[in-house]
Amino acid sequence: MLLLCTILCKACLVKDTPAPDNDLKFQTKEQFTQAYIPPKNVTIDGIDYLQSQSPVGKFGGEFVSSTIGEGPKTFNPFNSKDATSATLSGIMYDGLLGTDPISGQPVPKLAKGYKISSDGKTYTIYLRKGIKWSDGKPITADDVVFTWKDIIFGGLGDTSLRDSLYIDDKLPSVKKIDNFTIEFTTPKPYAPFIRSLTQSIAPKHYFEKAVKSGNTAFDTFLSTTTKPENIVSSGAFKLKEYVPAQRVVYERNPNYYEINTNDEKLPYMNKLIYLIVGDLNNEVLKFEAKELDVITLQGSKVARYKTLEPHSDFKLYNLGPTTSTMYLSFNLNNRKNDKGKYYVNPIKQKWFSDINFRTAVDYAVDRKNIVFNIANGIGSPLYTPESLNSIYLNKNLAQYDKDLEKSKELLKKSGFYIKDKKLYDKNGNRVEFDLLTNAGNTEREAIGVMIKQDLEELGMKVNFKPIEFNSLVNKLVSTFDWDMVIMGLTGSPLEPNGAKNVWLSDGRLHMFNMRTPKEGKKGILPWEKELDYLFNQGALATKFEDRKPYYDKYQEIIYTQKPMIYLYSPVIINAIRKKYKNIYPSSLNGLTHNIEEIYIDE
Amino acid sequence: MNDTFKYIIKRILQTIPLLIMISIISFFIIRLSPVDPLAELKLNPSVSPATVERESKRLGLDKPIIVQYGKWAFSFVKGDLGVTSTGEKVSKKLAERIPNTLLLTTLVILLTWLVGVPLGIIAAVKWKTPFDRILTVLTSIGMAIPSFFFAVLLLLFAVKTGWFPIGGLTSPNYSEMSFWGKFCDIAYHLILPVFVLFTISLAGLQRQMRANMLDVLDSDYVKFARAKGLSEFKVVYKHALRNAVNPMITLLGFEFASLLSGAALTEYVFQYPGLGRLILEAVLKSDINLVMASLMMGAVMLVAGNLIADILLILTDPRIRGRA
Repeated sequence: MLLLCTILCKACLVKDTPAPDNDLKFQTKEQFTQAYIPPKNVTIDGIDYLQSQSPVGKFGGEFVSSTIGEGPKTFNPFNSKDATSATLSGIMYDGLLGTDPISGQPVPKLAKGYKISSDGKTYTIYLRKGIKWSDGKPITADDVVFTWKDIIFGGLGDTSLRDSLYIDDKLPSVKKIDNFTIEFTTPKPYAPFIRSLTQSIAPKHYFEKAVKSGNTAFDTFLSTTTKPENIVSSGAFKLKEYVPAQRVVYERNPNYYEINTNDEKLPYMNKLIYLIVGDLNNEVLKFEAKELDVITLQGSKVARYKTLEPHSDFKLYNLGPTTSTMYLSFNLNNRKNDKGKYYVNPIKQKWFSDINFRTAVDYAVDRKNIVFNIANGIGSPLYTPESLNSIYLNKNLAQYDKDLEKSKELLKKSGFYIKDKKLYDKNGNRVEFDLLTNAGNTEREAIGVMIKQDLEELGMKVNFKPIEFNSLVNKLVSTFDWDMVIMGLTGSPLEPNGAKNVWLSDGRLHMFNMRTPKEGKKGILPWEKELDYLFNQGALATKFEDRKPYYDKYQEIIYTQKPMIYLYSPVIINAIRKKYKNIYPSSLNGLTHNIEEIYIDE
Repeated sequence: MNDTFKYIIKRILQTIPLLIMISIISFFIIRLSPVDPLAELKLNPSVSPATVERESKRLGLDKPIIVQYGKWAFSFVKGDLGVTSTGEKVSKKLAERIPNTLLLTTLVILLTWLVGVPLGIIAAVKWKTPFDRILTVLTSIGMAIPSFFFAVLLLLFAVKTGWFPIGGLTSPNYSEMSFWGKFCDIAYHLILPVFVLFTISLAGLQRQMRANMLDVLDSDYVKFARAKGLSEFKVVYKHALRNAVNPMITLLGFEFASLLSGAALTEYVFQYPGLGRLILEAVLKSDINLVMASLMMGAVMLVAGNLIADILLILTDPRIRGRA
């Protein structure tokens, strides 16, 4: 046994990885030289196909990807409350529109085109003629109207889409014009609406019965125990098999509406397989054992893979910064709870509401060091609330480095003074506060330690306390008894309005100055008022160019007022086997957004 | 026999208050822990407060804990395990995984008993010979290695050599295989997890058997049997073994209890589609119905295991039969 163990240990010892060289900067330009040409609409024999413009490939083969966790909870795209279920059901059901992988603009999918009226309230959708569901029945306007009217506006399944579409307490309306034309009307011009048209469309003849039986029946419809051969879908791949806790297997949908330039029906690959993997470590092992074809690498693994890449069968792609943003936030709350007690100690309130204090903290934080040490250099410093790949990112806001002198100067201006390397405010109170984050998130815990050190250089006393996630959420959204927190949020790179709950002064996640529903907009600060205005106006304008200035301004306000100090965004690095061709990485849609166009060439 | 029957009924009745207590303690511990099943939802910017409230109502979180417990207990007694937090039937979820776990654990238990008991006997008979000593060293190592560590080592071994699959139970093209192909595929995937569990439980069993046997071999009646001139074979296998096996039957009862829960850690490392992963996730998400169902299942299995062991003892040992 001992011998066996030694042999095992020996076999498992990784030959020491070469020291990470400084050559980790990816040749982004080289990667994107072959620009992706989006598919075009073509009509053959009265059928409106989508025609792929990428090089023609070979048919056959399979692609193995993975999903972390316990696998899908449902295959119903209207009832998926977790990311895995949403991804896996999304594969089977296309929406009317998709998202261009480069520009982020809406592109045709089930719809061949759309028109927005000049008043910005009416959206006319032109459906493809002659395309079919996987069971051969035609896809028509009835399916679209059914999906929107009965399922989404009917409040079945996951209602978050419906909730986001209430404009002045009214929902948009949907109307069938003819078999292939649908008209949506919003009560007011409402720009985010066009994005919601990427929502999957359900086949009426398949969903109807479940929809009629009400909410509880709908929740169990298309559950993971549904027989795959009974499922009617529209995506490039249809479900073949689901093995609990092991894998989800899809096969090509022969009725898919995309063709290549030789007019052959896509997708190229016969099978698409998602292995259900319990954790990140197992995913890495499976990739190294060649059971997986693609993997998203953690920062700490990138250096090793980069050195392995030249003599391996995979290639690394840099997809750019993620949509997740890490930030440090102050509690600006200066109100009392029902018992007449302040949520935040009044002494601390004075510090946090002082813009000089907040700016001083900001300049004391060493973002570059955080990126270097925590993300192993695989990340970018962040200064604005919009993620770095957002199409609304305000690029005029300058980056800056740590500047302790400036911090000290600002603190001095507000009457803070340093005695024995300890910072006191003008009333002689020692500057000391708690910094919270959720325990167990090693990344945030490490950031906390670094920020604590940075702030101690200013003489502040920081009590860094990682606490359990749920207790932290409770503090942030209901009891409001916290000083500073390190958290992260995931936003949409396409639609800043999705974060309105964070920025509107009465938003449900307006954490830095959260108000109870009873308080409404009590004690609103001038710049909070401006944020309210910008977010309301930004949603009403319909054209990208008209909306951009509003969202530029909102980023500028956060950048100067600093209620939340943004720290950094990790960068996504993917590895994929070289045999897969037609790979056009997109920072918005990921590496395999064009899965139907990907083919194998050994 | 009538007495035995009465005894069994008595034992079953005794378990009822026990199960009630277990269920109350578990339920309250889960619900009073600060894990909020809706925390993730609350922190999602695109989810409206109305939805959070609706979810809270659906999961029954808006009611006092005691009411929640009452509701759960009532449907449990009726045989309804309820639904998971995502709306799937708990019984269905468990049914998906139980066969896989049983396959792994029964295989391991069979193997360990078939190998461990004879090895224990041989070691005892050949007490203090080199064979016994080597076996003692080997089992010490077997007992000392933590199962998850051993499992991780073997997984890395599989990656390096490519000889074994990286966890799971079946290959992606399993559904297209012939019957024998399927059989071999499953066997191929089972080798490593079975090996880990086998080496670890073998050590304990072998030592237990050896100790029992040594005790018995040292007793007066064995000495008497030897003095009487019986052959060594008869002494060991007819007289000593029957007495040495009694404690093993109690042990078998515990093995029965571990049928469903004993392999959780190894299952997790090998990404084995058994109960372990399902329940771990349920605990992390505070999915109360699923957690409660698995805890109750564990409790019932333990009680049943003990009962079975007691019954077996009554059957094998006339001395106990008299007392019961």
